[in-house]
Amino acid sequence: MKSKLLIALLLTLASSAVLAGKAEDAQIKSRQSAYGFAGWNSAKIKDQVVDHPETYNKDQVIAAANAIAAVANSGLGALYGPGTDQGTGWKQTRLKPEFFEKPEEVKKVATDFNREANELAKVAATGDIGAIKTQFGKLSESCKACHDSFRIKEAR
Amino acid sequence: MTIRIKVWDLPLRIFHWLLVASVVAAFTTGELGGLLIDWHGRIGLLVLGLLVFRLIWGFIGSSYARFASFFPTPARILVYLKGGWKGHGHNPLGGLSVLALLGILAILVGTGLFANDDIAFEGPLSALVNKDLSDSLTGWHELIFNVLAGLVALHVAAIVFYLKVKKTNLVIPMVTGEKSVPVTEASKLKHAGTVHFVVALAVSGIVVWAIFSGELVHFFQPPQVVVPATTQNW
Repeated sequence: MKSKLLIALLLTLASSAVLAGKAEDAQIKSRQSAYGFAGWNSAKIKDQVVDHPETYNKDQVIAAANAIAAVANSGLGALYGPGTDQGTGWKQTRLKPEFFEKPEEVKKVATDFNREANELAKVAATGDIGAIKTQFGKLSESCKACHDSFRIKEAR
Repeated sequence: MTIRIKVWDLPLRIFHWLLVASVVAAFTTGELGGLLIDWHGRIGLLVLGLLVFRLIWGFIGSSYARFASFFPTPARILVYLKGGWKGHGHNPLGGLSVLALLGILAILVGTGLFANDDIAFEGPLSALVNKDLSDSLTGWHELIFNVLAGLVALHVAAIVFYLKVKKTNLVIPMVTGEKSVPVTEASKLKHAGTVHFVVALAVSGIVVWAIFSGELVHFFQPPQVVVPATTQNW
């Protein structure tokens, strides 16, 4: 009787561990995908506006900027549920536990990212390469701000 | 009777102060990011060139620039600590700090060449490694900077110590190159020629160019399929 109880207890614990981990891993995977997609678009903008402006294609840059803004506006906060500083999406997460201890700072970096991404989409529509370049710089800084505060430096 | 000798030759002094400026600029641009990250990369290549130059100069430069004149073996360090060192240029402890600083900078530059920032910067050799390795080296790049910061702080502290406690100004000789030594020891100093300088400069220039131009990457990478210039329309 005791051993049956013990087995039941162990199974419950094991399954809860597996099931609990799955939800966190899914969130991690989604946000890693989101940032990877944003990064691809960011590289396109950098290439056409900063590195090789002779290749500038207004529509492509608009599309890229809109894609990044879409990512920023998609409600990424939902992918930072409790416990998601542990777990593996496409790769092990590098989120620092501090993320959950500094909600004010998180709100700031998130809001800044949104603001700069939306602004870039706006500026991209004007076709003014100089202005796009400047705003791209500001967006880059907002990406970096979150990395510096909340991403573990060692790659895993 | 003492005489003034050029204990630090001109290339060495230019190297030193260029390195100081480069490290400060690299730190600043790296910290600020944004559009400045590309400057961080360029300054990193300058540091690479300076390090290659210093490496060569350490073998063909003037006497006190050569590593052989200050290489810090344990025996030499012991002699120095007991007060028995009577040379010029870097004493064995100074020599140790030179090698430590150059070594850490080499690691920083080396890792930086393969680094990426996930935003818009990729080191000039990052195409030679996969993303995971690039990420890993980037992590090391950021962490090892802390070691450099510590060594630089130590270096500056030592200079201040020499100034305040030993009443010896080490900054002026690194600017003018001059130090007063007994006449009998002046002949120990052998100058390096212009040819040596040009050779060292040329080699470091070639190394930096090979990386900056992409030639080094092309050398190691098999020919790529040419990507069509126009993006697909869907």
